[in-house]
Amino acid sequence: MSALRTRRSSRAAQVGKGVAVVLLLVFTLFPAYWMLVSALDARAGLGSSFVPASPTLEHFRFVLTEGGFDRFLRNSAIVALATVFVSSLLALLASVAVARFRFTFRTQVLLMVLIVQMVPLEALVIPLFVQVRDLRLLEQLLGLVIVYVALALPFGIWMLRGFVAAVPVELEEAAYLDGATWGRMFRSVLLPLVAPGLVATSIFSFITAWNEFLFAMTLLGGATENYTVAIGLRSFFGQHSNQWGAIMAASTLITVPVMIFFILVQRRLAAGLTSGAVKG
Amino acid sequence: MASTTPVATPAGTGHRPGPAGRRPLGKSLAARIRPWALLAPALLVLAVLLLWPLVRVALFSLQDYGLREIVSHESNWIGFGNYAEVLTSAQLWQVVLPNTIGFAVVAVACTVVLGTAVAVLLASLGRVWRTVVSSAIMAAWAMPAVTGTYVWVWIFDADRGVFNHVMQSLGLQDQPVNWFTDRWSFYGIVLLNIVHHGFPFVAVTVLAGLLGVPKELLEAAEVDGAGGWRRFFSIIVPQLRQVFAVVIILSTIWDFKVFAQVFLMPGGGGTNREVLNLGVWSYVESFGQNRYGFGSAIAVLLTVLLLIITVAYVRTILKEEEL
Amino acid sequence: MRRHNFGRTTTAATAAALTALALAACGSGGSGDGDTGGDGGTDAEGQTLDVWIMQGTNPSGDAFFEEVATAFTEQTGAELNVEFVEWADAHDRFVTSIAGGTTPDVAETGTTWTPEFADAGALAPLDDYVAEAGLDTDLVEGLVEAGTYDGQLYGMPWYAGVRALVYNTEIFEQAGVEPPTNWAELEEAAKAIKAEFPDKIAVAVPGDAEFTVYPWVWGAGGEVATLEGDTWTAQLDSPESQEGLSFWTGLAEQGLSSEGATTWKETDVLDAFAQGNVGMAIMGSWTPGAIVEANADMEGKFAAVPIPGKDGGIAPSVLGGSHLSMFETAENKDLAFEFIELMTTGEFAQKWGEQAGYFPGQASLLTETLESTDPLVAPFAQQFVEGGGSVPVSPNFGAVQAKKTVGVMMQSILSGSEDVATASGKAAEEMTSLLNGGS
Repeated sequence: MSALRTRRSSRAAQVGKGVAVVLLLVFTLFPAYWMLVSALDARAGLGSSFVPASPTLEHFRFVLTEGGFDRFLRNSAIVALATVFVSSLLALLASVAVARFRFTFRTQVLLMVLIVQMVPLEALVIPLFVQVRDLRLLEQLLGLVIVYVALALPFGIWMLRGFVAAVPVELEEAAYLDGATWGRMFRSVLLPLVAPGLVATSIFSFITAWNEFLFAMTLLGGATENYTVAIGLRSFFGQHSNQWGAIMAASTLITVPVMIFFILVQRRLAAGLTSGAVKG
Repeated sequence: MASTTPVATPAGTGHRPGPAGRRPLGKSLAARIRPWALLAPALLVLAVLLLWPLVRVALFSLQDYGLREIVSHESNWIGFGNYAEVLTSAQLWQVVLPNTIGFAVVAVACTVVLGTAVAVLLASLGRVWRTVVSSAIMAAWAMPAVTGTYVWVWIFDADRGVFNHVMQSLGLQDQPVNWFTDRWSFYGIVLLNIVHHGFPFVAVTVLAGLLGVPKELLEAAEVDGAGGWRRFFSIIVPQLRQVFAVVIILSTIWDFKVFAQVFLMPGGGGTNREVLNLGVWSYVESFGQNRYGFGSAIAVLLTVLLLIITVAYVRTILKEEEL
Repeated sequence: MRRHNFGRTTTAATAAALTALALAACGSGGSGDGDTGGDGGTDAEGQTLDVWIMQGTNPSGDAFFEEVATAFTEQTGAELNVEFVEWADAHDRFVTSIAGGTTPDVAETGTTWTPEFADAGALAPLDDYVAEAGLDTDLVEGLVEAGTYDGQLYGMPWYAGVRALVYNTEIFEQAGVEPPTNWAELEEAAKAIKAEFPDKIAVAVPGDAEFTVYPWVWGAGGEVATLEGDTWTAQLDSPESQEGLSFWTGLAEQGLSSEGATTWKETDVLDAFAQGNVGMAIMGSWTPGAIVEANADMEGKFAAVPIPGKDGGIAPSVLGGSHLSMFETAENKDLAFEFIELMTTGEFAQKWGEQAGYFPGQASLLTETLESTDPLVAPFAQQFVEGGGSVPVSPNFGAVQAKKTVGVMMQSILSGSEDVATASGKAAEEMTSLLNGGS
């Protein structure tokens, strides 16, 4: 399986590899570990210990009830799922267009999709704030979803076109030979084959929406009942700035669902990136 | 090689008898409309929510646009006054630009080097360890920027953070240090945060590319007596040119736009002007100082900077015919 | 209403010109172009009034506002929806909501912000309502002045507050020190505390809390800024001001504060004090309640004295305060004013003042509070009467606060990146420019 493994790997190389693995695991996992330990430690913030000195779930109870994170988590889930659904649909249609058809301006469209990905959110926040206000959608989750769809779309198109391109044209042709219309071919041939790519794209859209901070802060303003997790955590931090146990408990609640999700789909993610990003 | 001649398929589509080709009657109309019909919703969203705002931010940047103007929808044109102010400000040249560009360069370098090293390591591991390590890096990747930032802030907290505690126990410092006040240590922490969050993408992507490198090539090189480094640079790197292009472009774009990771750190939201970057500066000037026009000018500057970088990459690495 | 844990920070509001504590009538009644139409009792069944109240280092207002809500619904039939907003976030939040047209009906506005928001056209003038309610002779003048913009009253005086030196009596006793009456004593006391308790913070010198800085400037005989004709000149870099700044930041330099305090806001000071980790700190008249709320063990273990001047006497401290302002977006302005009246006069005004440690904005109530003998009220009252200071009275001072000019200066000094002369020079230059309408 591994391209780099050689038959001559010496004992020293093995040891080196072991050390590298350990260091890597420490670097990658320490923040998450420390977050969890602090969240579970009733005395977090009063002293540093590497295992919870007095384990408790009190911090979690506190943030879920009085901290309002039950509501923030729900809001974020709604926003993220809506974003995933809409952006995946639009990205799929668009990616079929650019991967399967030759048409005038195709290159220009692709270039534009590539280039809008680099647009900094800070440049968009002022005009989009004005625009969302004119739509009377400030302080509402819908306004946020609309913006997030736009943010997730370019990368979705970019990634999915690789997947679409990877589906052999012969399969499509076979469908046509069987008398299928284009629409039917799309549903029964292309869609199932692109599904793994859709999963990967959805993950990216989900994370974009779940993690986004700047627009949540400006578009939701004072509507705390509509806060998403990112901005909810900031507001919580403002009110409880030295209660690190509670802050870490809230952080854990925000992180864990995404983390589990990520680990579960990691193989597909790798596949998605190979055929999406790599085929660039 | 599928992974290195990427867009062969779509490029080829045109030459093959596509759907339209089989039905000559519909070709002219249906086939020509179909791609646009498929693209229409996405293009509409991009036009209304990304392109038009970009035009507007450019328009705002030419005005003295404050709270009053936002409320009343009035225009207040002042030409290039905002740009003149931005470009002549010492703040820009001494603090903001170095922070933005310097940081992005270092962060991209660290992310790509570490990510590639991890990919090589992963490729050499057995199945079990590869699963363990890749799960761990997934966990790092999954940590949202906002929570990740608070965790790093907590780790480096001056009075009660674990880092100061450990340093003092080891006798490496006598006093707790406030790591957030100094520009260098502040950005050191941001760097840790960004690399920690960003290298998994590189590692996973490069690993996928590595696994696609034909074994015969490597074996042939080995037979020729090429060492590990040599094999890496002379075979793998050229094979993965495309992969590296993608990860470098995306990392650069991401690392230029760092916002929450700076804004949420102590002093990062404007109190410590030594650590402002373009994004935070623009936000602080517009939403904090009500100088939306001035903030827009900064934002336009950031956009132009990113545009130059993106176009340069697109031109040198992704040749147009490959799109 | 969600429960909020109060007791955090404050970029707090400052009252301009409260110095003239004349309890006289304000002279600004009855101008304006009359759409009062208030016909006494309002029947607003089924309506909801949205209100923003600031929270920071003051005690929790939950129970209080539940009571207010009940009374308000009884009186008008309308529901009350109170949203608590952090002081630290509040300015951005207001500005964003003004820009977005999503302002509440009524909000607590820091006194330095009221003219700024009025200038943006966001606030509704209150003169006619005030005159009709017959209140125009019973408002604290300084707060009225601060709430007046372009000849019209936009901010209804609600309360004022002042900061003094709060100290931990247990720590003081064990270290064998007395509350300081001048700067030399203060430094000696801090050193004694540090010697006795090396792990504690002898005196908290926060970097992101401008109102804890001005007393030292004034205490050394300096000024924040002076007005000549129409031109402001910031005086933070005058020799006197620099002396005050050097003393205050010098305490931190000697290790009597804490490293973390360089980035602290007032909420962080409160937190640390409530945990018993701080010997003394500049804290507001509203913090005693919040300290006990955060940590019940602290009850009876702290006291306050006026901030000492350099060679004795009292160093002035900013008289801060809040208005209740009505936004132009309020649909039912009569209802909004009924709420304002309910809050700022009579029973509820008094109760809020007592509970929270604020000085009421209604003149008749204020007199009563100032005569209090409560040991956690009297020192603040003394500071209020004898040592009240005012930040520059200019609608542009909000911009100075938003730019965090003083916070930036303090952090550069505390972190050692600049010396007092350089940092105060830069801050003065910036403040002069901002106060004169520059940027």
